[in-house]
Parts: sequence; structure tokens; C-alpha cells
Amino acid sequence: MGASVDVSYVFEYFVRLLPSVGITLEIVALSLLIGSAVGMLVALPRLYRIPVLQRLSQVYVSFFRGTPLLIQLFLIYYGLPELLKLVHADVSRTPVLVFVVAAYALHSGAFISEAIRAAVGAVDRGQVEAGYAIGMTGFQAFRRIVLPQAIAVAMPVFGNLVIANLKDTSLAFSLGIMELTGKAQTLPTMSQRFFESYLALALLYFILSFILQKGLYRLERRLLRHEPADGSASSPAKGRRARRREAAARLNLTEEGALR
Amino acid sequence: MIALKQIRKSFGKQEVLKGIDLAVEKGEVVAILGPSGSGKTTLLRCINYLERPGSGHIRIGDAAVDCGHPSKKDIHRLRGRSAMVFQQYHLFRHKTALQNVMEGLVVVQNVPKEEARRRSAELLEKVGLGAKLDAYPSQLSGGQQQRVGIARALALNPDVILFDEPTSALDPELVGEVLSVIRKIAREGITMIIVTHEMAFAQEVASRIVFMDDGAVIEEGEPAEFFRSPREERTKQFLKRMTPEGVYNI
Repeated sequence: MGASVDVSYVFEYFVRLLPSVGITLEIVALSLLIGSAVGMLVALPRLYRIPVLQRLSQVYVSFFRGTPLLIQLFLIYYGLPELLKLVHADVSRTPVLVFVVAAYALHSGAFISEAIRAAVGAVDRGQVEAGYAIGMTGFQAFRRIVLPQAIAVAMPVFGNLVIANLKDTSLAFSLGIMELTGKAQTLPTMSQRFFESYLALALLYFILSFILQKGLYRLERRLLRHEPADGSASSPAKGRRARRREAAARLNLTEEGALR
Repeated sequence: MIALKQIRKSFGKQEVLKGIDLAVEKGEVVAILGPSGSGKTTLLRCINYLERPGSGHIRIGDAAVDCGHPSKKDIHRLRGRSAMVFQQYHLFRHKTALQNVMEGLVVVQNVPKEEARRRSAELLEKVGLGAKLDAYPSQLSGGQQQRVGIARALALNPDVILFDEPTSALDPELVGEVLSVIRKIAREGITMIIVTHEMAFAQEVASRIVFMDDGAVIEEGEPAEFFRSPREERTKQFLKRMTPEGVYNI
């Protein structure tokens, strides 16, 4: 490595890293898409207190929240094929990317299910009753009344997850995926300008996060357009807490019948 | 048209409804009065099964539920015959005033969107909110929200509208606007059951008063008769407490 930082290398590597942005975003998008579906499925047994499934989803969530992502990647990469052998499915030719996406999807699924669970709890029960009172079925009330509001409430948490997920994809290179970080490690083998390469890499991650944050914030504002646009929007956590307080106050106010 | 027979309901060991019988004819406006904790709100919520009675029979029009063996389908039909106005309004917060009123028409009654929109706008006009069609609940005052709630109930064209203390959560200066809307629709001959603490309003708008205490109906009667010469001792005590002398004479 040279005596000082050579900015021209930073530029060069930045440009040469750009083609790998695609694979990184692919992992993020696929894992969040699948993770959302998994999260929804896993949240349901706990929301509706289905005996055995509720327990299972708890175990799943605490496992994926309680172990490092890198270990989860290895466990799924080496463990899943063994598991699948039991049902005589041969996955030795399956691309590594599939395992990586599976690991990230299961990982974010655990966090998404928690976010959904909390958000559904934050939607005030009275609106569900109002839905029943106008003749909705339980499913209609959930889909038309609870879910849209829960998604809006969960949006800030989900936004954090997207950013975390983007940064976490840097671990995928450990299984040999040539995403951004993997690429950044191979680029300077000739020049030995590793620092410049990592600098370019950090810059790229930062720009990607920044764009995603802006976009997510807009989406959040749009989903919450029915709530007054006051200070609570800039710190969504406070808004949620206030809303929950409000809901609790409402519960206390109603007569004996409302509490079950 | 509405018949409740021997409705019983317990929360844990406490029996809050001790076998209520109530019949309401088409076009009647029944006001249910009583001290807090007397079970009047619970009774109202039992009528559309937001609260599950332990036993008894409920009938609204041609929809009947045997509370000992309720089926999902029967409950659904019962709710289709009734509408409710809540103390805390319970508007759908992510929908505009117009969408709140349309929701039941479109989703439950399968009315085409355009027609639902037209009818809903008319109803909001009727409750004095023609200028607030696109406002979200968070942008409306309590009185305005409750009027949207009333329009939402009216839209379904139900056999009966159940009012659960519709003005109890309102600031005093907003009570009037809501009461005048209820008065207006009462005159149109819509069947209503109102749980309220507004004595003067009940006397004026109701065709019959039902007085409840401790989970039972104590006394029923015409408003004038009920307020002038109550028969039961508990009714007398209650009315005495609710009159201004009783309130201010500390």
C-alpha cells in the first residue's frame, strides 16, 4: 500500500463496484419480500393465540433474533441440504444465492413478525367493533381496517429493517457471493489499494442507505397521511407511543363491557 | 320488530344482565337510562352481539339468534339488521369521512361504488358535513366525528340504530350539534335505541323510557309519565340525583 490515500483509486473502485449493486439489491429485495410473507404467517398464530403454532413461532423468532446472522448463514448453507436429503431432495446444484436469500428472508421474517404483532396491537379495538357493527366478517375487518393501519404503524420499524438488511448483505461474501463487499475485496488484489477500495465501498453503502431512507420516509408519510402532520412524524416512535396511550385511555373510558 | 327474551350475561362471577326482556316496535325511539354500572351499555352491545350473552333470545326483524347456540351466520345476519353509534365514535382513522360512510355499503352490501359515493355524500350533507367529505377523522372535531358515525350507521339502512352514549365523550359545547342530528332522524321514523345520560334529551326525543338498575329493567313508561311520576323507589332516587338541585346542592 502506498504512502498516502490515492483518491483516484477511490473513484475507480467506486465505478467498478457499481455493477455489483444489482446483486446486493436483489438479495435485499427478495429477502424482504419473502421475509414479509414469512413474518405475516408467523405473526398470525401469536395474534390469534393458536395453541401449538404460537409456541413454534415464538421459538422461531427468539432463535433468529438471538443468534448472529453470520452463523445463521452458515447453518442454512450447510444444514439445509442435509435436512433436504432426508426427503430425498438433491440441492447440490442449487445456486448459493438461494441459500443466502433463504437465510436473510428467515432472519428478517423474525423481525417483521414482531413488528406486525406490535402494530396490530396498536390499532384500536373499537374500530374492529365498528367494522363488525356494520356487518363485516372477521376477515374483512382485519383486511380493510386493521391491516392498512398496522402497516402504516409498522412502517418506521420496517424502514430500519430495510437499511439493516442492506448492510447485512455484506456478510454474504463469506459464502462466496460476489456482491458489493465480496467485489470490494477482490478489486485491489493487483494494486494492493485495499483502503481505497473499502472507502469506495463505504461510500456506496452510505449512498444506497440514504436513498432508501428518503424513499421509505416518503412512503411512511403517505401511509400516515390520515394522521395530523405534526412533530410526531419526525420521531415515529413517539407517535406510536402516543397512539397506544390514546388507545389505552379509550379503553379505560368505555364502560365495563369493553374490557374482556 | 325487536325482541329480547331473558338475556343474561356475566363477566366472571358478576352477573351484569339478569334476564332482560325488551320489545321495541318499528318507529319507536327507546331511551335506556340508569346509573353507571347498571348494565345498559352491555345490553345495547348484546343486541348486535358485540357482547356475547350467556343465554336468551335476540330477534331483529327476520334475524334471530338463540344465545345458547349462536351460529356465525345468525350473528352476521343480526348485525346486518342493526347499526351502532359508539360513545368514542370509532371511525376508521385511515379513511375519509366519505369513505367511512361508504365502507359498509361497498364491502358488506356490495353496492356499486358510484352509487355508494352518491348516497354517502347525501347522508353527510344531511348531518351537516357536506363540506367535510374528504376530511380524515383526525381533522374533525368530536361532534363532527360523531355525526360521521351517525351517517355511517344510517347508510346501511338498518332496522334499528343503537346509540351507545353518543354524547358522553363530547365537549359540552359540541353536544348540541349531535343531539339535533339525532332529533332530526328520530322524526323520520327510524327505530332507535339510545343509551344516554342526557335526561332532557331523552324526555324530548324518546317515545318510551326504559330504566335499568343492577342488571334488570326496573321501570318502563312514556317519557312524560316517567319523569313526572315514577313508580319505583329506585327510579325516584335516580331522578332525584340527576336533577340540577341534586347535582349542585353540595
